[in-house]
Amino acid sequence: MDYQFNEDQAALVSAVQAILADHSEIPQSARLSYSYYDADLQRQLVAGGFLDAGRVLGALEAALVVIECARSPKVVETGASALVLPQVLGDEPLEGAVALISLGDLAKAHRNLPIARTALVDLGEEVAIVSVHPGDVEEVDSILAYPYGKFRTLPNLETCRRIKGGSKMRQWWRVALACECAGAAQSAVAFTVDYVKERHAFGKPIGAFQAVQHRLAQCHQIALGIYHLALRAAWSKSAQDADLAACYAQQNIQKLVFDLHQFNGAMGVTNEHLLHFWTYRLRALQGEVGGLYDAALAISGHVFGAVDDQDQHPTVGKDFAIED
Amino acid sequence: MEFGWTSAQQDYRRRVREALSELLPRDWYENYVPESYASDKNIEFSRTFCASLAQRGLLVRHWPPEYGGEGGEDWEQFILAEEMKGAGEPRGGQYMNVNWIGPALMRYGSEEQRAEHLPRIARGDTVWCQGFSEPGAGTDLAALRTKAERRGDVYVVNGSKIWTSYARKADFCFLLARTGSTKKEISVFLVPMDTPGITVTSFPGLTKDGHLNEVFFTDVEVPESARVGDEGAGWQIVTYALSFERVGVPRYHVGLEILGLAVEQLKAEGRFHSEIVRSRAGMIVAKFEAARMLTYLVVDQRVKRMQPNTDSNVARITALDAVSDLMNFLIEFVPDTLAGGNPLLEEYYRINVPAGITAGTYELQLDLIAHRGLGLPRG
Repeated sequence: MDYQFNEDQAALVSAVQAILADHSEIPQSARLSYSYYDADLQRQLVAGGFLDAGRVLGALEAALVVIECARSPKVVETGASALVLPQVLGDEPLEGAVALISLGDLAKAHRNLPIARTALVDLGEEVAIVSVHPGDVEEVDSILAYPYGKFRTLPNLETCRRIKGGSKMRQWWRVALACECAGAAQSAVAFTVDYVKERHAFGKPIGAFQAVQHRLAQCHQIALGIYHLALRAAWSKSAQDADLAACYAQQNIQKLVFDLHQFNGAMGVTNEHLLHFWTYRLRALQGEVGGLYDAALAISGHVFGAVDDQDQHPTVGKDFAIED
Repeated sequence: MEFGWTSAQQDYRRRVREALSELLPRDWYENYVPESYASDKNIEFSRTFCASLAQRGLLVRHWPPEYGGEGGEDWEQFILAEEMKGAGEPRGGQYMNVNWIGPALMRYGSEEQRAEHLPRIARGDTVWCQGFSEPGAGTDLAALRTKAERRGDVYVVNGSKIWTSYARKADFCFLLARTGSTKKEISVFLVPMDTPGITVTSFPGLTKDGHLNEVFFTDVEVPESARVGDEGAGWQIVTYALSFERVGVPRYHVGLEILGLAVEQLKAEGRFHSEIVRSRAGMIVAKFEAARMLTYLVVDQRVKRMQPNTDSNVARITALDAVSDLMNFLIEFVPDTLAGGNPLLEEYYRINVPAGITAGTYELQLDLIAHRGLGLPRG
């Protein structure tokens, strides 16, 4: 058990942070938008090999890249490319960003589809790999802080390439989701902490009110919990750990978003205040891969057995703590 | 960064489990655990159980060799705690001895105090109680009023302590008493519980018998040699001692065991098919696992001798959130928990009624995170 980065991990995180620092400013023209996708940042991450971390270094390192990028108010597509693709497609390279889609929602708007060149569609046991051309996608307006779009014409999933790996896709989608939540949540909390130290009401900083302090402390707690569960899920490559990380993130987003917006007050409702770039990414992730209840039911299945196996004794407890 | 156990740590856990399976009586879960680890019966059992653990080199393995340990790593102390808590804490109150009373004496105790007490603790046959809380001083410990007035070479102690688990059966009290007029002029004394002038009264409560005691000190004479460290150094000593407890008990471990028991009952009653029940169980597991990860984070920091920070407070409230959810789960889905149902579930519920109060309230943890962790201004 070692929670400290090793030298390679520290160097990787430091390098990602340096690139993000060079791209920290949102252009004035996009300042009032609901989301801002930075294509140049995406290119640099690809060119620097950071999105290949999952293939070259390992899933844990890929998770670190995803978390760091999610701290930025800008959007770049990292989770699907760095975490999901290597697990589903192995070493096979794919050009461009990737969108992740659940089959039942195919006709609806999807996160990152307008910037994607490939969509992975979860068919259950299989995954459909759909090539996406810019003309195929109609952008959809949304306050969710990712680019959203839907297919002008639904892809024919019968004729496109299909591979085994639906469960792998869902597992790593949940890891990616938790990593993005971790980075976004930690940034949103840090942003709000700064704000409540500066903003005064009733003659003192609003951060001096215990009603604010306690709930903000809980938001910090949640963000830290998501962060470590997400990293463990990437490290262990266990489906159960992926479900745990997503479930913990998705069950706490409601509180995070509500409280952080409360503390940013009316400013947080405006687009010029940065908060929504993180909180409405969290909202976007809240319902993905089946949302909280699917993740929770999956955990229950792992730990307590399937519903048609009612006599099976729970595995929780003694064997739970040991990685054999 | 990695989150697995070494093979040595896994071997150590297996040794602890083997010891538990060999040392616990067959009716342990039927007749001991439901009575609570603070009951007289369990306290007496702890004397033989801990002595046996000591003989196997498992009780104070993490202590330095000069005090009877093997200088084992901090992870071993924590693995021991997980397994013991998961089994209903057969060490009774002696977990305090090995976790923080012993280490506090190693650092602040006189040579005579170390020679008298550390071997006894390491042998596993001594029970201590903690004389901290008072009717008017719990979370605000510095408000305590029990006085130790110096008269020649003795101190005369007057006052009372409350809560004081294990007091009825304790051999010694780790007593905190006021030795000056300013708020933090307090000192620590090691007081035999059979000293004339000490009386113990128990009272009923929502936790089971043994946890709620009041200890009265009436003109109790304590020799100067029983004072730990300098006069007025009590605050520093207690802060140090409790830093060993900053991780708290591994609530996720016992919580997951109890959730498993509740699920077994629900399955037996054919009521675990409901997606509502199963999803609630899954969410609780996720919360306990968050608590586990944050607790291990703090242990890792301690292993690396890093400066204590508010991650320990974060770990504690995360565990308390999960405990609270589990208590609600029991009441909603296993409603006989508090009315003639599985006594292990009842004991879990009742021991956790004050979980958010003991060893620093939930709100105090939030205060510490807000001020020391997030740097928010004081009101």
